[in-house]
Order: sequence, then C-alpha cells, then structure tokens
Amino acid sequence: MAPEAVLSHLNRADGSATYTHNGYCIIGAVNGPIEVLRRDEIPEEATVEVNVRPAVGVGSPKERHLETLLHNTLRSIILTRSIPRTLVQITLQVRSLPDEESSTGVSTSLTLLPHLLHTALLALLSALIPLSTTVTAVLIALHSTKDSKAPAQLVSPTANELLRAKPIRSVHVFAFSGEGKMLLNESDGAFSYEEWDEAAESAEEVCCKKDGGVGLGEGMEVDGREGQNLEDWLRNVVRTKVAYEQRWKSAK
Amino acid sequence: MAATTAPSTPTPALTFPRPIFAAVAPHPFLQAHLSASKPSKAPLRANTRTAHEFRRVGVNTGSLTHCNGSTVVRLGNTSAVCGVRAEILREEDVQGTTDYASSPDSSDDELEREREEISTLRLLVPNVELSTGSTPAHIPGSAPTSFAQTLITRVCSLLLSTSLVRLSDLRILYTPPSNPEDPDADPTPQLKGYWVLYIDIFYISIDGNVFDAAWLAVLAALKNSVIPRAFWDEDLETILCDDDPKEAHALTLRGLPIPSTFAMFEGKREWNESGEDDHEVDWVLSDPDAFEESVCRERVCVVVDCSSGKKGTKDGIVRRVEKSGGGVVDRETMKGLVKRAVDRWAEVEKAINGKP
Repeated sequence: MAPEAVLSHLNRADGSATYTHNGYCIIGAVNGPIEVLRRDEIPEEATVEVNVRPAVGVGSPKERHLETLLHNTLRSIILTRSIPRTLVQITLQVRSLPDEESSTGVSTSLTLLPHLLHTALLALLSALIPLSTTVTAVLIALHSTKDSKAPAQLVSPTANELLRAKPIRSVHVFAFSGEGKMLLNESDGAFSYEEWDEAAESAEEVCCKKDGGVGLGEGMEVDGREGQNLEDWLRNVVRTKVAYEQRWKSAK
Repeated sequence: MAATTAPSTPTPALTFPRPIFAAVAPHPFLQAHLSASKPSKAPLRANTRTAHEFRRVGVNTGSLTHCNGSTVVRLGNTSAVCGVRAEILREEDVQGTTDYASSPDSSDDELEREREEISTLRLLVPNVELSTGSTPAHIPGSAPTSFAQTLITRVCSLLLSTSLVRLSDLRILYTPPSNPEDPDADPTPQLKGYWVLYIDIFYISIDGNVFDAAWLAVLAALKNSVIPRAFWDEDLETILCDDDPKEAHALTLRGLPIPSTFAMFEGKREWNESGEDDHEVDWVLSDPDAFEESVCRERVCVVVDCSSGKKGTKDGIVRRVEKSGGGVVDRETMKGLVKRAVDRWAEVEKAINGKP
C-alpha cells in the first residue's frame, strides 16, 4: 500500500498535509515564515520549531525526543539561511495509530518516526518553504527465522506484521535525502554492522533507488507503474497538487 | 592561528587573538585548526586532541552516602553525578494482574517479556537535572527543557532495549514454608513486590557529549548498586528489609553497552583560499566538546557491547545507532565509526571496572 496524502486542506495554516499509511494517520500544519520571539531569534538563520502532539493525552518526554530528531533533520533540509530571523513552525498531530501499536514490543517512537517525517515534509512543501532537498524515510525490522541463522528483513511493516514476527531482533529507521544521502538513522536492538549495512541498503532502495529498485510492498501500484519508490511517490503527490492548482491556467 | 582569515599580506588590523577569533568566527576557527597542521602530523582540534581522540574517562564510585549506588563521571570538563535509589513497590499497589513466570532462560522471548514488565510497571525511573551554571544555555528555574527531556528518553529507552537490569534482581519473592494446595509438592514462590530504581543524573558542568557522560554514570552507578535483602514477613504481612549489609545483593547487569558520540564537522570551501583544492573536507570528531558541538550539526552515537568477547563487523555487538542532523556519514563511514566505538569500548571498560 502506498501512503495516502492530502495537501493544503487546512485553510488557516500556511501549509498542511494529512498523511495516512499502515493505520497511522497524522495531520501536519506549517506556519512560516512568521515573526519569531526575540529569545529564539537567530541572526543569520530561520528558527525551526517542531511540535508533536500524541494521539492520546498530552506530550511526554517521548514526544520531545521525536521533536528533537525531526528538528535536527528538517533544519538540515530547510534553507534556513534564505529566510533569516523568521520562524518556521511545524505542528504534527497524530490522529490515529494502528490497534496493535502498543503490543508490538517495538519502541513506538521508532515506528512513528518515518510517518512524522513524511507528514512534516509534505506540510513544508504545501507551505512553500524553501527546501534544499526532499526526505523520505522507512522502517526496517529484522527478526530471526527458524530455518536460517541470518535475520529476515521486514520493510515498512504494519503493526500487525510486527506483532506476528515477534520477537524482533532490531528495528532501524532510515531517512534519505533526494540525492541519496543518509540524513537520519535510528537503530535499536542487537545487531551487527553487516546487518545494519544490509538494512541501510534496502532502505536506500525503497527510498530513492532509480529504476529497478524494490518497491514498497507488493501491491504498490500507482498509475499502473509497479516497483515505485518513495521518492517517486513523493513526486507524484506534488505533481497532483501542482496540476490541481494550475488547472485554470492549463485549461484551454 | 588567524592566518587563514587574514589575507597573505601582513595587515595587523585583521589578526585577532585566539579567543576572539573563536568567538567571532567559530567555524573558520575550528577549520583553521584542523587544516593548518603539517601533513606529516595528524591535525589537531582546538582542544589539542586529534580527530579520533576521546577524552579520558574518570569514574569515582560510591561518593554519595544515602544512595544504593552512586558515581561521579568526568569526561574532560563534563561531569555528571548519578545516584541510584531503590524503593519498594508493593504487589497490591501494582495495577492489574501480573503473570508471574519464573523461567530463568534468557531467550529473546523471555527478554521481551521482561522488558515489557519493566516498562509497564516503570521499575526504572531515570531523571536528568542540570545544575545552575552547568552550561550557559541552561536557564535555571524553568521547567525541564526539551534538551533534558530528550536525554531522559534516550537513557530510558537504552536501559530498556539493552535489558541491562535483570528483572530477577528487582523482584521480591516469598516462598511459603509449605504448599497450601499440595503438602507434598515443593512450595511455589510468590511475588510480593518489586524494587523500583530511581536513577538521578545531575550535571555539575557540561562541556559537550552529555549522553556518553549520562550513560556511563548510570552504568557505573548500577554496577555498584547494592540492594538490601527484602523479605516478606508472614506475621506482620509486610515486606521488611534486612539491616545486615552482608545479606544485600549487588545488581548483576546484562552486558556492558558503551556509547561513543561523534560530531561531523563540515568543512566549508569559502575559506580555503588555495583555489585548486576544491573538494569538500569533512572531519569526524570523536567525543565533541561544547565548542565543537556548537559548530557541528550532525551527530552520531554508536552504542556497542563487546562483553561477549567478539569484536568483528559480523558479530551482533551494536546495540544502538543514532544519527541525525546531516548527511555526511554514509554507510562506509559508519563502518569506521563502529570500529572506533569498539576501540573506545575497551578503554571505557577498564575505567568502569576500576582497572588502571
């Protein structure tokens, strides 16, 4: 299943996106560039502020950690030097989580992280904030199988798949920029460098490999093209948005 | 030092003393340091360490009187105090029913069940406090900053994912003298309570690499924690603790995961006046201090555990990799970082185990 995205649907925010994938639904809103508090002002750069609101209750240290990770990643792709002394405020509200989320035995912040990154990026695109590149992220879980010693990979698993593949040996979140640079990695569990390297390779294929790359899941098919990677998906979302906005211009 | 900013013609007006150069232009200052030395020698950072050099770890255990275990850890000018305090959580105060299984095997399944029990009952409670004046960035008297909260989350999740503390050390069991259902069978132990470990980390001063300091302090404090023997008193129907220190038991930890933090310093070409040398140069700095952290955006933290004796790239020794903030480190660089973390492991292991 390809992720679903709706862009610019909140008309009071500068940019917004709702992203749905594998039972995760997140609303993202971006306001910016706006005036920044004197205290947070950076003379040569824009301040980036990320707020993550959980599906239930108020934010906890776990959300602060996610915010820090998102902040570090997004700050490296937003052209902060072109909009100095302003604020880019990104708010992400988790709307729904899959039912099995809490019982997978995997850190819930890791499973949520790729979805938060995608939502934030789509909202930034919708708000027309200058970016140096795009970012796509994927979750990879390694679990031991009975027949072979080497762990099997689950690429972008659903919560249900994680539950059935218990016990999970390690989970990895990778985020790649449009040029294929690794922007973020969070790996947890017990694993070797070689396992990590293999996981990184498959993540790179899912995120940004051109032609012949492994697609996300089996039934991923948009516009009749199979084996589409996340970057193509992202391009497609933006293409649809631009086509919609240009419909009067292009109409003859 | 200022030679890189000043043009080659001797204009004394454009040369600054060292501290002013560092304050006015921190990025060129560090770059000048790293690229200025002779090719025969390894480049030195502003703090006179080479790029691969970590700071020496100083560990002092048992410094606090009223704690079950405590340490003071120093990494250069970063110093943290960690105190572990154990308190009893009675079984009747635990919400919901807990299935008590005493299978001692440590298969993946069992570890996962333990992890779940520790996390749902919150038997490990880390907390981070920054003392007034520990770092200029910290404003005293305010709520815990997102910096502190992030640190707590990282320590807490690493404690859980490495299964460092054994649940068997935290359980308070009671074996009745006879089995009430079947007098001939051996009596089965009953769960009467848990020990909850409150792990407080207090920074006296911060000079970069807070996570390594925090984790090493936690690790050394847990290693030196002694928990009194707790037993169920049938007559009083309550848990009592033994006053005799000989009866107390130390925590037996699973493995010895040790983090190594690296900062990527991205060289900028604008300051390279040479012209021909047009490739971008990046440095991976081990164990960054506060000044280096202020000019480096990308951080990588690799946690390795070589206590099983293996050190190769095929062995499952990596416990965690955290990387964010930039795209300099690729898969090949990461291999080198894991190797550096393995080397660091041996060094820190000696310090924690008290060997010179």
